[in-house]
Amino acid sequence: MMRWLGPLLVLAGSAAGAHALTLHFAPAVIMARAMDALEERGVALHRFTTPARVTPQAQSIVRSSPDLYYALCRYDLSDPAGALELRMGAWPDYQSLAFFDAQTDNFATLRGTGQQVSVRLLPPGSATEDGAIVSPTTKGVILIRRLAPDAARFAAAAEAGKADECRLR
Amino acid sequence: MRRAFAYLAAIAAGCALGLGSALWLAGLWPAGRSLAFGDVDVGGWRSDFAIGSKAADPYTRARVARHGLLALAKTEAVYLTRSLDDAGAPLREACTYRLSGGTMPAGWWSVTLYDSQSMLPGNTDSALSIDAERAGDGAWEAVIAPQKPEGAAHWISSRSAGTFDLTLRLYMPDAALLADPGTALDPPRLARLSCEGAA
Repeated sequence: MMRWLGPLLVLAGSAAGAHALTLHFAPAVIMARAMDALEERGVALHRFTTPARVTPQAQSIVRSSPDLYYALCRYDLSDPAGALELRMGAWPDYQSLAFFDAQTDNFATLRGTGQQVSVRLLPPGSATEDGAIVSPTTKGVILIRRLAPDAARFAAAAEAGKADECRLR
Repeated sequence: MRRAFAYLAAIAAGCALGLGSALWLAGLWPAGRSLAFGDVDVGGWRSDFAIGSKAADPYTRARVARHGLLALAKTEAVYLTRSLDDAGAPLREACTYRLSGGTMPAGWWSVTLYDSQSMLPGNTDSALSIDAERAGDGAWEAVIAPQKPEGAAHWISSRSAGTFDLTLRLYMPDAALLADPGTALDPPRLARLSCEGAA
């Protein structure tokens, strides 16, 4: 019996290690795959891209809402001197500017119903500044949502989206 | 030699066990498992209010990454999902359901139907959801069915959905909802009316 003790302990340790590593890396792997998929679908780096209105025939992210206008901007702040200049144009109904890091965490959200919102996004480790948010990871996604539950409102939201900006400086 | 083989086999089996158990417990494997999970359960609508935040446990984080990527944190939006009707049966395309509710404790809300892959079902009916604006003030009702029923004020199409679930989005949630969802939320009810092929 004792001669199996060593392999059994190794089996238990391997199982625990593989379990923990899988859970630890799963969100980042899924997020990286999603970022690749967004890139393949034309979502630009450092620029807001508005996919077509969400329909069963045009959906790139799981559980997208057909009642919302989405604009996406991928970012890469690998250069510690870089920063993103962001602006969400005015929209009379609900809208928000949400920031997601490479671990899928929603690390900041700014609501802007009826008003324009401007903010800077700084690389990880930057000192905090007024009017700026520090990203926990170098890469991530910024997402604007606007309430637009029909085709006419979606078209109006797209028009408002012309004032959106996601620019590396 | 046999001893070395035993250790190698133990490592391989352990890794497979750890990988499989993590994927299963996080809802990543096998494919098609629902997002209807979490410690919040209001009338069959389930959620984990840690979604989107660093507070989420590793299982929740992995499951949300797969089924609810880019979900907002609870101060901005709350997501509740149900995959069973009021009688406890899985939601199926072959059945017709009545979804009914009232005023929600949030600035805006919607209920959207998703298939087992967490995607909108592949139909062209343009009837994927109901939201606060279409429902209007007070009590509301919608029929979920593969074909539009006559006389229904609101219809959510389940055509091509197979086994599906519903996600209730509550944007700009009231503080009371976050503090005590069981008291603040009068959850939409989901009654099965009929099923194709049922006796």
